[in-house]
Order: sequence, then structure tokens, then C-alpha cells
Amino acid sequence: MTMIAAQDQPAVPLNLGAAPGPLPAPDADIVSFLTYEARLADEARYSEWEQLWDDDALYWVPMRPDDDPAKKLSYIYDNRNRIKSRVAQLNTGNRHSQTPPSVMRRLISNMEVTETDEAAGTVTVASNFALFEYRYTQRVWAGRVIHQVRRTPDGLRLVRKTVHLISAGGPVDTLAFLI
Amino acid sequence: MTTMDNDVVGTVPTTGTFDVSTIVKNHRVHGSVYTSPEIFHREMETIFRTGWVYVAHESEVAEPGDYLTRRIGRDPVVVAHGKDGVIRVLQNRCSHRANRLCNAESGNATSFRCPYHGWTFSNDGSLTAVPMRDGYGEEFAKVRASLGMVETPRVDSYGGFIFASLAPDGISLKEHLGGAMGAIDRVLDLSPTGKIDLSRGWMKHLHHANWKMVVENNVDGYHALFTHASVYDAIRPAKVSHVPSKVQTVVRDLGGGHSEIDYSAEYRKLDEEFVWYGRIPRAKLPEYVEALEKAHGPEKAHDVLVIGPSHTLIWPNLFLAEMNVMYVEPVATDETIAYTAAVIVPGQEKLNERTMRRSEGAMGPAGFLIADDGEIGMRNQAGLAARGPEWLELSRGLETDVEDETGIVNHDKSAETPQRGFYRQWASVVGQEIPA
Repeated sequence: MTMIAAQDQPAVPLNLGAAPGPLPAPDADIVSFLTYEARLADEARYSEWEQLWDDDALYWVPMRPDDDPAKKLSYIYDNRNRIKSRVAQLNTGNRHSQTPPSVMRRLISNMEVTETDEAAGTVTVASNFALFEYRYTQRVWAGRVIHQVRRTPDGLRLVRKTVHLISAGGPVDTLAFLI
Repeated sequence: MTTMDNDVVGTVPTTGTFDVSTIVKNHRVHGSVYTSPEIFHREMETIFRTGWVYVAHESEVAEPGDYLTRRIGRDPVVVAHGKDGVIRVLQNRCSHRANRLCNAESGNATSFRCPYHGWTFSNDGSLTAVPMRDGYGEEFAKVRASLGMVETPRVDSYGGFIFASLAPDGISLKEHLGGAMGAIDRVLDLSPTGKIDLSRGWMKHLHHANWKMVVENNVDGYHALFTHASVYDAIRPAKVSHVPSKVQTVVRDLGGGHSEIDYSAEYRKLDEEFVWYGRIPRAKLPEYVEALEKAHGPEKAHDVLVIGPSHTLIWPNLFLAEMNVMYVEPVATDETIAYTAAVIVPGQEKLNERTMRRSEGAMGPAGFLIADDGEIGMRNQAGLAARGPEWLELSRGLETDVEDETGIVNHDKSAETPQRGFYRQWASVVGQEIPA
């Protein structure tokens, strides 16, 4: 009787790879960009939201924070082409699970720069978010969101958005809007 | 939650027998089958307590010590691969004061210790340790040997799919699967080793609909053009037409509540490989095709790659969803959890990554298909709050059903033949005697 059954694992561990000490806040233009991204998603402005993404995009909602997406299924794992398809489906106006679209407002806060890569021109920002969704009834979604943003001659571009839902352990309600 | 119309149905007893013909005819079902708490209770007591229910896949508990927590109907169970090599399905409850014993979704352990008073059970279910045992006397000594975790009396598997029955007696698993065994074989044929793996994670999606709405829809060949129009309009045309007159796709009632949409005749007519897999050319998966040809010979491998996997509902809770597997857990009359995994072919990583990305695209809470099925199911449940009409119509194709050696077939893929088969089985089970 050596090993004992493991107890519940927290859906989101407290540490998602950020340094233990205080981290710098992002520059003002990055904050504006992330706030803008949140507003476009909230307001179902799908095509404008799609325009934020760079070609090597990845929009990822894992089932567990430490999952390797090559080995584990995710809720969403969209490359640039899949993002385009997702937006095209929403734009038909016939995506029943978003017809009518969810009415949403999200707060994104506690922004910390976890990584800056001068050579690649990228900045990685980890934030907490709370999203209030109304569609027939009100739901709350919350978690940790990690954005990787690239500075380009044409302005800021979104490279990566990873959403660690606190409820990723499921069951998860329909998630057809832009989280 | 709505109440059923007592004028038509009368009172549904929660014990004893019940005349199901008051709510299920051969081509229509009464709305109360989706909304009545008494009927839901009868389903849990009959379908999920007397028959075979899918619980897990062997690939998820491959090593001794591996365990998972699941449900059979509403009973929480632990699927445990014992150190003796036997896979058991044990009631997830401490025999002392009923604490849920195992609280993790999965793991590896040789024993389960109750966190309440420390009673410890081996992963074969037997009680191995009772702390401070001096406090117990003769009365306890008499029953101690019987205080293991309660073992599900019947557990069997086919093709790695583990099924359990809470009833000690009944038909064998093979008899239960009957015509649906071929559907499992069809999926296994796609693997050069003859085995599949479902251990890459289950998407857990909450549906606000009765569990039957969720499973019936999986073998509905009528809805795609409407429910999923946005996919075909915006992204890509359907793999083959959903207009019944244009295709040789059939629907089939396999008996025993099992049913399917079978694309194989249409695919064989096209004689094109991977139509079911985004029409990818075989040159993109050379290692896989080579391994499959080695396993089956080139001729059968070609046919396997032409017809692809099955699209089959296995009564009551398992759906072979082509390169996905879905099972459902009924929660309440209007709430169901759907679990979806990708079908992984051992040793074929290139194929598997593609399969996982396809699963995420189509299935689960954010999937291009299933998110909308979930919405439609929720609206179905909402529509049932209207008291009229009292009945749902399932008569499409009733006059064109033909019986052959494979079951009841309809060559119009939009026929409601699968749903009629589902409710024939339902009626034969739900009315049976429930002990008081």
C-alpha cells in the first residue's frame, strides 16, 4: 500500500511560468492594443478582430495548462487558417450558437510582461480576465490569458493568444463566441 | 423543466411496470419523454441499471494501477486496472460512511484511501486497512470481508471499448452489440495494429438538452443542411452532398437501439480515398498508408481508406463519430454532458495530430459543428415547454424502410429510421418492472 490515489488537481495551477517576483507592466501601446482586442471580441466585430492576427497566429484554449497540444486535445487550437474559417462561419449570421451573438463585456487586468524578445520584436503579456456573457442567461468566464504581440512596421500584430479557463476542467458550456 | 401532460399520459409510476405505448408510438414520441422527471428516473433505473453501458476505453487504463472515475447513469464508478491485470468497474463509495472514495479524474494507484476515516481499499476493490481497528468488535468482524468496494457485476469489452452492466444477469455484450459490432470493426480496420487509443483527452461539453436529444441527433441525416449550413456556406462544402437524392448514403436501424448513417456505398461509388478526411491525398500520409497496406494488403487497405470510419450510435450512450468517439452522461431531464475524444492510431503521429486538429475544429464546445448542435438541442428543450402539439413526428421515410440482413435500411439518408429504431428499443426497456 505505497501509492495513494491522487486528489483533485486544480484546473489552473497558480504559476503559469511567470517569474516569482513583480513583473513590469506593458507599455501603453501594448495595453491599448490588448484592450482593443477585448473590445472587438466583446462586440462581435469578427472581421476587425481577425485583422489583428499575424500570419503565424495561434489561438489556443487548452483543457489543462501544461498540455502539449501535439499530444493532447484542446478546446480550441486555431492556426491562422482556422481563425479565418471561424470568423467566416460567425460572419454568415447563421452560426446558430452565436445567432444572436452573446452580449459580452470583459475585464482584462493584472497585466504583466513575462517575456520580451527584442530580436523577434515580440512582447508576451499575461493577464487575468473576467468575462460576463449574456445569452438567454448570464454566465461568467474567467481565467488567465497570455498574449504574444509583435511590433511590425505596420503596427502591432497578435501572434498568440492562449486562454487558460479556470473552468477548463469542464464541463464547459458552448464556447462559440471569441473568448 | 416542464411537466408532462397528465391528461394524455396519465401518471408515470417510478416503480413497477409502465405501459410505454401511451408515450411512444412506432413513428412518434410524446414530448414528456424529454421533460418528465419520472420518465428520466425510469430511464436511469432501466436503461442504465439493467443494460450494457459504455464506461471507458482500455487505452485509458493501459497499465496496472491506472484508474479513471466515470458514471453509469447516475452511479459514480472507478474503472480500475488491478495489479492482477483485471479491469474492474467499482462503485466510487467508501463502504464505511459513503464518502466518495476516488476524487481525481484519473491516475495510477495501487490503493484508494478514504480521506474521511482512512479506510483503504486495494485497486481490486477489497478492503485492506481499517485504522484503529481495536475500536471494532465481533459485529464488524462478521461483515468485514463483505466491505469491499461494490463491484459492477458484469464488465466486458469489445475492440477495447469497455462496457459495464449493473445487473448481474442479462444478455452478453456480444449479443447486446449485435449488428453494431461491425461498426467497431470498421474503426479498428483503420489502424494497422487493429487497435485504437482514446487517451488524448476528452472535451467535456455541457448540453442544455435531454440526453436523448443529443444522441438522436448524432444519427440524424436530415439536419445537416440546415443546422450546419454556416459551415458549408463559409468554409467548405460537405464531404458528400447532404441532399438525399444526390447520394447513395443510407441510414440504418441496426436493431437493439443501435443505428447509423452509412456513407460507404457513396464513397465506394466515388472510389476515392480519404473523402471522409478532408480529401487529403494519400501521398501526404505515406507511412500510414504503407503500414495499413502491410496489415491488410493493398486491396483491402484501399477499401478501408475509401469507406473510412463508422458514424454509428451504440445504444444507449456511445457514438462512434467517424474519427471521434463521443459518449454522453445524462444529468437531468434538460442537462447532458457530452464527452468527445479523438481516435488515435498507435504509431501514426502525423495522422494523429491532424485528427486532433480536426476534432477540435468540428467537435466540442467551440466546434464548428457541435456548438450548433448544442444550441439546437437547447432550443428543442425550450420548445418542449409549449404544450402543443403534444407529439414529436418521426415518420419520415416510414413507408420506404426496407429490411435486409444488415437491419432496417432507408436509402433516403434523411429518413428518421435511426430514431424509430432508438425508440423501439427505448419502449422495450423503459416500461419494464422497477423494483420498489
